[in-house]
Amino acid sequence: MYKSSHYPAYDVWEQHQEWDEHTRKIVGKRRMAQVEHRFFQQEEARLLYTLAGVLTNEIGDHVLTYITQHIDNSTDSPIGESQRKVGVPEKKTLYRMGLQGLDELAQQKHQQRFVEIKRPQQEDLLRLVEQGQAPMTPAWQQVPQKDFFKKLLHDVVAAYYSHPAVWSEIGYGGPAYPRGYVRVEKGLVDPWEAKRDGTS
Amino acid sequence: MEHHDFVTHNSDHYEGYRSRALDQRKYKDGADVCIVGAGAAGGVLAYELAKAGLDVVVIEAGPFWNPQTDFASDEISMHSLAWQATRLVDGKNPLKMGHNNSGRGVGGGSVHWTGVCLRFHEDDFMIKTVDGVGEDWPIRYEDLAPYYDKIERDIAVSGPKHYPWGAFNGPYPYPVREPISANSQLFREACEKLGIKTEVAPLAILSAPFDGRPPCINRGFCNEGCLPNAKYSGLIHHIPKAIQAGAEILSDCMVTQILTDGNKVTSVVFNHDGQNYEQKARVFILAGFVVEIPRLLLNSATPQFPNGLANSSGWVGKAIMPHSSHDVYGLLQEEVRLYKGTPVLALTQDFYQSDQSRGFARGYTLHAHGSRPMHMATALATQRADGTMLWGRQLRETMLDYNNYARITLVGEVLPNPDNDVTLAQEKDEYGLPLAKVSFSYGENDLKLIDHAVQSMKDIITAMGGTPEHVIQDTAHLMGGCRMGSDPTTSVVDGYGRTHDIPNLYITGASIFVTSSGSNPTNTVMALAARTADHIVDSLKQNNL
Repeated sequence: MYKSSHYPAYDVWEQHQEWDEHTRKIVGKRRMAQVEHRFFQQEEARLLYTLAGVLTNEIGDHVLTYITQHIDNSTDSPIGESQRKVGVPEKKTLYRMGLQGLDELAQQKHQQRFVEIKRPQQEDLLRLVEQGQAPMTPAWQQVPQKDFFKKLLHDVVAAYYSHPAVWSEIGYGGPAYPRGYVRVEKGLVDPWEAKRDGTS
Repeated sequence: MEHHDFVTHNSDHYEGYRSRALDQRKYKDGADVCIVGAGAAGGVLAYELAKAGLDVVVIEAGPFWNPQTDFASDEISMHSLAWQATRLVDGKNPLKMGHNNSGRGVGGGSVHWTGVCLRFHEDDFMIKTVDGVGEDWPIRYEDLAPYYDKIERDIAVSGPKHYPWGAFNGPYPYPVREPISANSQLFREACEKLGIKTEVAPLAILSAPFDGRPPCINRGFCNEGCLPNAKYSGLIHHIPKAIQAGAEILSDCMVTQILTDGNKVTSVVFNHDGQNYEQKARVFILAGFVVEIPRLLLNSATPQFPNGLANSSGWVGKAIMPHSSHDVYGLLQEEVRLYKGTPVLALTQDFYQSDQSRGFARGYTLHAHGSRPMHMATALATQRADGTMLWGRQLRETMLDYNNYARITLVGEVLPNPDNDVTLAQEKDEYGLPLAKVSFSYGENDLKLIDHAVQSMKDIITAMGGTPEHVIQDTAHLMGGCRMGSDPTTSVVDGYGRTHDIPNLYITGASIFVTSSGSNPTNTVMALAARTADHIVDSLKQNNL
């Protein structure tokens, strides 16, 4: 039995008029992500989009497009990576070769591209890469599987939980400037916050 | 007192205080004091030294933020407040850098800290004497006590009337924060059941108006930069005051080299928009991060100082220490809503003192600690202590219960080990400088301490009526790398932060810590900076510099 949101009636974006302008602008852009990539080729972007869906168990096109765009931006950006483990290639190579590695793996196991195989098979292949157990192909000689998987998962999840639709699903009150939170103690909620199962 | 509009006026220099053209800067021909880095330490020094009548210039690599237009109530975009330039990490426990521990821009890490304002305890300065581990500091708690008093007063720390641990038992200058968040209430109630003392955290986040700034509105985004200016940062407190006292802040200026003549520093080279400039001064203070200071000193090697400046001991870059900072997330029947309120509103230091029966030396602080969706979900996905990763349906369904999670966080002492260090890598950055390589591995004592703390956190979650679901491995803060000491062969600076090798070169900030303690470091960073400021003013008066 699949679990579903405790707050099906809640939409955090309905509060956006109460947010400061800068926050409104930043968050609002995520709701209208466009397909335009600078770093990834079209096929790579399609693969990334598919991976984002598998890793977050999400099918919503807007959210997956946003994740893809976000990772394209951050991979293209000259801003650093904060940290990189010794022996792991820099982010551009890690992504490019890692995506290639997934396609090589899908070809080897299923004679198809990764995006063409069925979801359970995609999950199985990702589990191999997560464990570092995919058969050695040219791409994996350049990038360590586990490090690629971890970076991909981190970036996908970070973007996913930055989308207001996902904030709504989990009942996150989100931005609260200038009004702040007044009722912060146990059992209390401000009138505009998410209420369990739509009750107030 | 002149009116301060902190909302609009801290975004740039006051009118007439700085020309936009860097060759027309205020102290182009030389300052009394040049401070590298405008973080928690640099801000205090800039203000104290400018107030004493000295010509002060502060050089900061990052931007001069305006909270109103640069900050947002958003996790991912506010990583811009961090030092994101790549550091190579190595060792058995490679550190998470960036937003986890380092800031960039005026205010430095004080722009995105949680505001927890603790003092070190007396034992923290003498762990070798007390426990036979690590090293003693060349100073004692009593040396720093008046400066803790001063800093806490100057920035109006809001805390309890009585604080039950350590040498300072309150009262704090400003009233204790009230109300506290559900997570902190649950933490306090559970600890009481277990016989563990707790208190509301002493915070550099206002409980009442102070100096033109309003009290906290429990927005909860301390780590993303405070929009109402209720939380202390150098950006909105010390730096504007320093500018008013005559200091000049050169933001977006990256110091790339220190130049020497004989045994003295003559100037630093900094890069702004691709162009190099020089800044001369009588005294130089390195107030940057634990990684960047050794990197700068090592990169400034000369034939006279072949191993890097101030490094005759070989200790530059050595014995860096994070805090161990594991989290336990516990699932409760009731809603907790970790996003609401100041993140840390309650803590315990009942586990702080060494206790031989535990089988390890030193101790730790536990904080009730808020969390936001991105931070929590990425931790569940990639930082679980058992090495498993949550993704797909498992992660999505776990996060559906986000509002029912409580969280406790460790600040655990990590013992100094010279093998944990900052060195130079082969790879170069955009300035042509070698990247820093940061190596870290926990020692046996550190791991035993973590195990004990994780069990304590699980017990508290269970006493809440919850289930400890996720143990996250993490670190916080970074200290050491240019440690102080009285022996010039085993330390970089003396008890005032003056380098043993170069009389007009000082280092301040967390770099000069000898040990890490089990307390959040910022209050100690600021107190040490205030003490160094007094020392420099006195020395300049006596013409000793």
